[in-house]
Amino acid sequence: MNATKTKKAISKTRLLLAAMVAMALLLPATAHGAAPGITGPTFNLTAQPAYISQPDGSMIYSWGYGCRVAPSGFAPAAISGATCPTMQVPGPTLIVTEGQTVTVNLANGLPTSAGNTSILFPGFSLTSTTGGVAGVLTQEAAPGGTVTYSFVAGTPGTRAYYSGTQGDLQVEMGLYGAIIVLPAAVPANCSTGLAASNLAAEAHWGEHDFRLSHAAYDHAKSCYDREYLFQFSEMDPDIHYQAQAQVAARAGCVAGAAGCSLNVATEPYHPAYFLINGRSMPDDMDPNYAVEYPHQPYNGNPHMHPGEQVLLRVIGQGRWQHPFHEHGNHVRILGRDGNLILSATDPTSLAGPLLFTTSTTPGLAFDGIFYWTAKGLNWDAYGHNPASGDASAKLSCTPDANGYNTSATAAINYFEWCQDHNKPMELAPFGDVPGGGPTTLPDPNLFTNGPWYGGSPYLGPDATLRATGCSAGTNAGPLAVNCGATGSTPPSGTIANSPSGEAGFAFMWHSHNEREITTNNIFPGGMLMMMLVDSREFVIDESN
Amino acid sequence: MRKPYQICLLMLLVCLVPAVASAQSFRVQCPTSTITHPTATSNNSEPAYAGPTYAGTSGYPAAPAHVNGAIKCQQISGGDGYSTMGDGTQTYMFSFGPLSGISDIANGLPGTEFPSVFNTVTPGLLQPGDPATTGITYNGAVGLVPDRDALAAGSCTGLCLDGHVDPRQIMDVGVMNGNIPAPLMAIDEDDEFFLTLTNVGMIMRPDLFEQHTVHFHGYPNASSFYDGVPDASVAINIGASFTYYYLAPDAGTYFWHCHITPPEHLQMGMVGQLYVRPRQNRATGALYAALQQQQLDLRTKCDSTTDILCSNPLPAVNTGATGGGKYAYNDGDGSTAYDVEYPIQIHGFDPSFHFIGMTFNPEEFADMKDKFFLLNGRSYPDTVTPGPLQTQSADGVNHFSQPLPTIINIPAGKKALLRISDLDVTEYQTLASIGIPMNVVGINAKLLRDQAGNNLNYNTNSITLAGGESLDVILDATDTTKYPSGSVFYLYTPNLDHLSNDAENFGGLMTEVHIN
Repeated sequence: MNATKTKKAISKTRLLLAAMVAMALLLPATAHGAAPGITGPTFNLTAQPAYISQPDGSMIYSWGYGCRVAPSGFAPAAISGATCPTMQVPGPTLIVTEGQTVTVNLANGLPTSAGNTSILFPGFSLTSTTGGVAGVLTQEAAPGGTVTYSFVAGTPGTRAYYSGTQGDLQVEMGLYGAIIVLPAAVPANCSTGLAASNLAAEAHWGEHDFRLSHAAYDHAKSCYDREYLFQFSEMDPDIHYQAQAQVAARAGCVAGAAGCSLNVATEPYHPAYFLINGRSMPDDMDPNYAVEYPHQPYNGNPHMHPGEQVLLRVIGQGRWQHPFHEHGNHVRILGRDGNLILSATDPTSLAGPLLFTTSTTPGLAFDGIFYWTAKGLNWDAYGHNPASGDASAKLSCTPDANGYNTSATAAINYFEWCQDHNKPMELAPFGDVPGGGPTTLPDPNLFTNGPWYGGSPYLGPDATLRATGCSAGTNAGPLAVNCGATGSTPPSGTIANSPSGEAGFAFMWHSHNEREITTNNIFPGGMLMMMLVDSREFVIDESN
Repeated sequence: MRKPYQICLLMLLVCLVPAVASAQSFRVQCPTSTITHPTATSNNSEPAYAGPTYAGTSGYPAAPAHVNGAIKCQQISGGDGYSTMGDGTQTYMFSFGPLSGISDIANGLPGTEFPSVFNTVTPGLLQPGDPATTGITYNGAVGLVPDRDALAAGSCTGLCLDGHVDPRQIMDVGVMNGNIPAPLMAIDEDDEFFLTLTNVGMIMRPDLFEQHTVHFHGYPNASSFYDGVPDASVAINIGASFTYYYLAPDAGTYFWHCHITPPEHLQMGMVGQLYVRPRQNRATGALYAALQQQQLDLRTKCDSTTDILCSNPLPAVNTGATGGGKYAYNDGDGSTAYDVEYPIQIHGFDPSFHFIGMTFNPEEFADMKDKFFLLNGRSYPDTVTPGPLQTQSADGVNHFSQPLPTIINIPAGKKALLRISDLDVTEYQTLASIGIPMNVVGINAKLLRDQAGNNLNYNTNSITLAGGESLDVILDATDTTKYPSGSVFYLYTPNLDHLSNDAENFGGLMTEVHIN
């Protein structure tokens, strides 16, 4: 394997970009995400080597935690086909419940020359450590040996776990993962009111509930309707090439014998891969447990409906900070490393900051709540048109106390922001949406469409087909002749988010150290994923 | 030095696009009235805040209970240009430049204008490099002319300013007029903002048929259509215009940038500043009562029990503060009051990447390394040079390339608001204050306050931001014993290797605070 970094010519970069976009477009237009993992409270893990796949075609020699035997179970139950290989990056997400005594049995299956390995559980107090040999930070498993850690999952929240042995090499090689502690008692308000309405809206469309719980903490302000786990890390391929070469050169050596160890230079550090859940864009938007990534089972592919409270569980697993920018709205930080941040004067109130860029920090986990609604756009995001002959263009909007249409759980426009209902955006639209608004859109020939462009400024297939003159039957517009299976032309021929399929609002969630949205010098790539807000008629299925 | 074939190619592009499209390719939009702002004569100034725009839950088509805010318009070019670094190096940029408010921009002000200013016809012919070339004073939309076809057809009367522009004026002024930072934008809550991006092409890189976009970074509940991400929306081609439409979001310090190939276009200079002033600036009487009025409009209320993403509930303590001043946020207690404000944008340039960007060479991203560390596009000592910096571009004409100095002038006994944003694409940047504490009142365009109404502002002498972050700092010089007239303080970076201008071991991310 070539240990030197290839320098890409711009023409090549752009060719690859085109190829990667084309690859992304070949994917089925389904949605996948959630925070999958394995359940305990006893986990039998192993640390082993394997190769992980990157979208530039590289297979990078890495080390990861995996399941030594089949786990007790997988969660969430709605995701079928879950696996836990013997090596994966990140390691298996350990899902436990507050108050449980957690036992982790770790077997060291790394090459003998890699030496000992271990796991740190920052934020937990170990109640016992059994077996292994003494290390600097914790008890370690010698090559071929085992060690057992036990602790009580005292408080809820998301936390990191990672190797406590020669971390500059072992964490870089991939020995890290997440622990999710679910609250023992979910606050009552997380299953009533809007939480119940949102569940009813899901049920109407046959959507499954992919949550691990209904609340992130034992706190009434921590309810959520959907959740995602993102682990950020970076990789310097030179370190991995060195480790691979040295392990091969010392194959068969005896533990403790002279020379049976690695001497990998981990400085100077020049990472070229920037990963979310062990994958680079566009691989991160492929399904969980996709067969093409046998050692990278977890994806980064968030979807949501308007108004849903979305829990983000985010961990910095590398050695660098990464400014994770969530397009679309702010994130309320609930807590860090399982420590809920509350008001000094009122424990029922949150005090964590509201951020549009949530920096990931080495070893630190945070939980945050994000939502998206069309509030404040000053135009009807659904393009409702009271003058239309199409019934779905004339839906009503009955505001609740907060101004949203939340009583009609079966309606396409459930959670519409009613203050802008029927309010036009375009002065003179060419489709079946209202006119008289403030702006004129340019001729579609003057702009370039993106692969995740839903096809119109409006949300959802119903609105987009109307806006582009592609409504069915008597409402067919003058452009109906151009309306094909992939949507309407003009303006769009997109497949990733087609006008007749998903037609969601797509938002880029990415590192704002923009050089990190590249894969080994190729743009786009790296720490980047598209978050889609979907109108209710699109069924978000995180199971495939 | 332009090569003749480059000019030909650009002209070909400009001519071809209209031939394909039925509509005019360059145009501006700045309506004098809208549904939200129905009375044209009232939209050229900010009216006092008298109460909720919509009371209760009824919205359109109900008439506004009170018309708040006004209409604001701005035009920018997307293209290229040159700037001058602290060591004198002339640096190539992909960049935005002003195509409205060109005199205001040259004076360090926002290029955001009311319709009455924006919709004025260019006085005579503007020259390449203007306003630097002729010193002309003009703040309207560059290129705006009567639509002669419509006049002849009788479809409009009077001035017939319908957004029709003269492409020659757009190209004369817009080509190579790039600024760093990109044109400053400032709007008030309740404004409707019409932002026209005109893509004039990058004349030094005719091999690139690049679109550009505007990403209004931090806009809450954004539509993906106007979010400026080309993958998720549309992007305007060379030789045409796209008008972004926003209702001003909650007050705060935002920023904006191009979202095409971000590691390239941001590093190359397509980054700018944008802030939203609070409703509270327009309130008279008690600030607490004014914030209570804002609770009556569901769009502007902040109820912490039902909305987890709002940051300005009523303050825990009614301080009895009254309005009439300037504030960073709708605080209801005057805690974010200030007297003078300075937008400061942190950025970094990697000179080898810029050279590669000008010379058609392969670009590397992973090892990008900034060598110029910029406050508002300048390194020390240029940060304290008053007035606009100009740079001669490859067209042989001087352009105002860096209009914004970063001299913080605080009248003795007063407070300055620093609206700090960072768009560095490679690393975190720290800015420290020597001698005068930084009071952090807002982060990421949100007031620092908990859900129970307790203010969480804090004093520090050092703030650290990543690219893609902003915060609001108040330098409080009200103690004239500690901060007497004539004293000078420094803002500088303790990232000590950033106190340099490429090879010069001097300069970098540093500026001065003067108590006047």
